[in-house]
Amino acid sequence: MERWIRVLLLTVAVATLSGCATVSNWFHHRREAREERAQAREDAKRSDQSPDDDSAPPRVVDPAVERRKITVPRIRSSNIEIGLDYGALSIEDFGTNPVYGITAAYHVTEDFFFQGEWGRSKAGRTSFETLGGNIQLLTPAERHFTYYDLSLGYNFLPGEAFLGRGVALSSAFYILGGIGSTDFAGDKKFTVNFGAGYRVLPSDWLAVHITVQDRVFQSDLLGTTKLTNNIEMRIGSTVFF
Amino acid sequence: MRGFPAAVLVLLALCLTPAVGSAREHLQVFVTQPYLELHTGAGRGYPVFNVVPRDESVEVLFRRTDWFKVRTRRGVEGWAAQRDMLKTVLADGSAFTFDLGDRSGFTSHRFELGMFAGEWGNATYISTYGSYSFNSQLAVEVQLGQFLGKFTNGNTVDIGLTHVLMPEWRLSPFFTIGTGIVHLEPKATLVQPSDRTQETAYVGGGLRFYLTRRFFLRAEFRSHYIFTNLNQNQRADEWKGGFAFFF
Repeated sequence: MERWIRVLLLTVAVATLSGCATVSNWFHHRREAREERAQAREDAKRSDQSPDDDSAPPRVVDPAVERRKITVPRIRSSNIEIGLDYGALSIEDFGTNPVYGITAAYHVTEDFFFQGEWGRSKAGRTSFETLGGNIQLLTPAERHFTYYDLSLGYNFLPGEAFLGRGVALSSAFYILGGIGSTDFAGDKKFTVNFGAGYRVLPSDWLAVHITVQDRVFQSDLLGTTKLTNNIEMRIGSTVFF
Repeated sequence: MRGFPAAVLVLLALCLTPAVGSAREHLQVFVTQPYLELHTGAGRGYPVFNVVPRDESVEVLFRRTDWFKVRTRRGVEGWAAQRDMLKTVLADGSAFTFDLGDRSGFTSHRFELGMFAGEWGNATYISTYGSYSFNSQLAVEVQLGQFLGKFTNGNTVDIGLTHVLMPEWRLSPFFTIGTGIVHLEPKATLVQPSDRTQETAYVGGGLRFYLTRRFFLRAEFRSHYIFTNLNQNQRADEWKGGFAFFF
């Protein structure tokens, strides 16, 4: 029953919204229609007069040349950057471990870009576990550290990197900051991230990044609630589309 | 981990696509100013290394943000700024026009992407959205979100329609209505309740404020009705704010 009510409500909403969207054009439309009518009347008057009008000069050249239609090639936009990365993540209290991930970015202006990241690592043992012998704080499944985040990046210090005498690659530093979530130790935590990176472009469509980021979230895993800093350094390669 | 090698292969395959696409026909524009400056990179900080004199033509290869990669008749490739390209003309003498990404773009555009932070039923909420506009007022919108609470975590997927009341205003109000699903993962230490997925419907409204270039701020409230098997449906309020951009 509820589904029906919802379908009905949505249908009404769709009809109303698109209806409203045209409201602003109604008056405009009426004015256009008036203008069209006036134009038609004028044309009719003119066509009535023309057969009697001998004063009009005869046409010397009949413009029979058809206007060439030029199709303008579309300009491709290349603002999207997608790539993979690999590095090391220091999980607070759980040691440093390899991390791999996927990055996608959209360059909105030459200065700002919007970036989404996903990454995964596996936590090691805490010193408490190492010293305590057989104590296991987390199950193997709970040791997976998976994060995603949405960040805003700002490019600064644009420059060029020189390889020998003949090759110059454009490069830039950038800072990043954003929010996301971390799935670790059987719980998901709201995570704030900030960091900086260096990007160098070997060609127009390829980029190599080195990024250092800190992922901060609140954890009560070891008895007390505290903010944990999880510093990550990774190197990656992205392709522009 | 199994998907990782596949992802690498897909990426390698995608790497090859730009090379294939380079055989296409490019737009030719003519310089009308005394000269057109070419930079080494797509940004105002990159140095000028070449100039194209008046009446000479350049081929426009592609565009990245507000910069155009162009090739001169001598085969030199460089980046020209959007404001300089506005002063070039096409072969028939007409002005070279393109989407500028300014205030008029805020009024009417095709796509939007954005991110938010806020609250969903008293839990911290993070979300991202994308929208496609049919006209300057009506758009269809998809939003993915995750809320992280003390007792419950969850994910949301919403699809709906957004109607902007005054798209030409810098601060413009909008209304939204739609449906979605919510996946709830209750946290419990004594009993282990099962995760559940429920359908929702929402109605809401908010404000959009044009910031600069392609960016705008967006603040929004949504009231969600969660359809449960119980006698009474549940309600959850969503408050959020964030930024978005159009293209």
